[in-house]
Amino acid sequence: MEHDPAVIAGVSFAIETVIAKAIELSPGAQNRLKQLHPLTIEIHCTQPELEMFVSVEEDGGIQLASYWETKATVSIEGTWRDFSRVTTASDPAAALINGDVKISGDTAPLMQLQTIVGDLDIDWEAPIVNAIGPVFGHQLAEVIRAITRTSGTTHRRLKRQLSEFILEEGRLSPPKPELDSFFTAVDDLVLRTDRIESRLKRIKKRAASLTGAIE
Amino acid sequence: MSSQDNLTDDTTDFGYERVKMAEKAGRVREVFDSVAAQYDLMNDLMSGGLHRLWKRFTIELSAVRSGQTVLDIAGGTGDLAAKFSKLVGADGKVILADINAAMLSVGRDRLIDKGALSNIDVVQADAQFLPFDDNSIDCITIAFGLRNVTDKAKAVRSMHRVLKPGGRVLVLEFSKPTSPLLSKVYDAYSFSALPAMGKLITDDADSYRYLAESIRKHPDQESLLEMVEDAGFVDCRYHNMTGGIVAVHRGIKG
Repeated sequence: MEHDPAVIAGVSFAIETVIAKAIELSPGAQNRLKQLHPLTIEIHCTQPELEMFVSVEEDGGIQLASYWETKATVSIEGTWRDFSRVTTASDPAAALINGDVKISGDTAPLMQLQTIVGDLDIDWEAPIVNAIGPVFGHQLAEVIRAITRTSGTTHRRLKRQLSEFILEEGRLSPPKPELDSFFTAVDDLVLRTDRIESRLKRIKKRAASLTGAIE
Repeated sequence: MSSQDNLTDDTTDFGYERVKMAEKAGRVREVFDSVAAQYDLMNDLMSGGLHRLWKRFTIELSAVRSGQTVLDIAGGTGDLAAKFSKLVGADGKVILADINAAMLSVGRDRLIDKGALSNIDVVQADAQFLPFDDNSIDCITIAFGLRNVTDKAKAVRSMHRVLKPGGRVLVLEFSKPTSPLLSKVYDAYSFSALPAMGKLITDDADSYRYLAESIRKHPDQESLLEMVEDAGFVDCRYHNMTGGIVAVHRGIKG
């Protein structure tokens, strides 16, 4: 199915704008990105069929395009599911190399780009301060920080309590040590079964050779 | 409808009206003189901002590189020229051309405000008689301008002449919607909402009625492709956008 270029251009524009803002608010990111110019990454999604190009500009900006004529520095190919796994992995670099995504070309700048993205330290307080002034802007930023901290703590606490309820009170799932012990016992059983099986084979072989000698 | 149909008896289309060929440029000039100041605002309102995405894809297709020379015909308010200026860099050159002095004036002011005039030349020129040397330009774009040209085929041939071998032309223009349902909705929008918007913003409903009519009289995708091929371009193709409301045609000078 052919995608409408205007739709792709709209999506590219939106992503590009967000990336540009993130770079602008991350001190040093632009200078580090400049070093990667003229890196071009071809992203080929095979399911659904879609091709995008990400290039690092001379000024350190990131450009997205659906049409590119020069050869890309590195090409990445995979399904939408493969790409989702990479982006949601705890270690995207490892997931990219060890996952189902196919990579061809020079991967070194791609890894550098991944490191820069990982190191992004977005100063999100700056646009708030610019919009409503330093006094109120800082106060608002503090409120947002407090809300984020509280919701983070609440989330962690809720997660722990839910886990305790499932394991201890509800007994809906066995505790991890119990589960580990069970798996160790299963592994042990498998090993012992394997040993018995090979011992039986050896005895059968020996019996067969003895029978042959008597005859 | 081919351009040849437009040119019988020394007359041509001005929207749904037939006018003498010599009169069309003057009539078009009146339209653009009237809308020049609010041109970008009207484009945003009429297309819901989509014209920016159509132009963005056109720029992608241009594959313009640093150091090249780009000619933006009917460049009006200079939005494409500003983008090309960044792409060609200090070693390249962008020529912003338009037949209409009022549009060029608005464009030049905008480019000065953006600080983008260092590598941009502003030229008042008729697309049919481009005042440039043969084989001197790397890429030519004409966005929403070809339908206003008196003799479209002549303009495309003129573009072919000034392009360097291997250079490309990109014609971004309104075209024919591919779905009958979209076509009906689009017709209703063009002939009712557009003139009303024009009246409200620029106090000029007639100019926007002309816009809707001129779109209907413009060659459809296949006819324009044929015109580009007839001018001598090779590897010609077009991409429909937004259901064919707009199409961008590309041709390479062999």
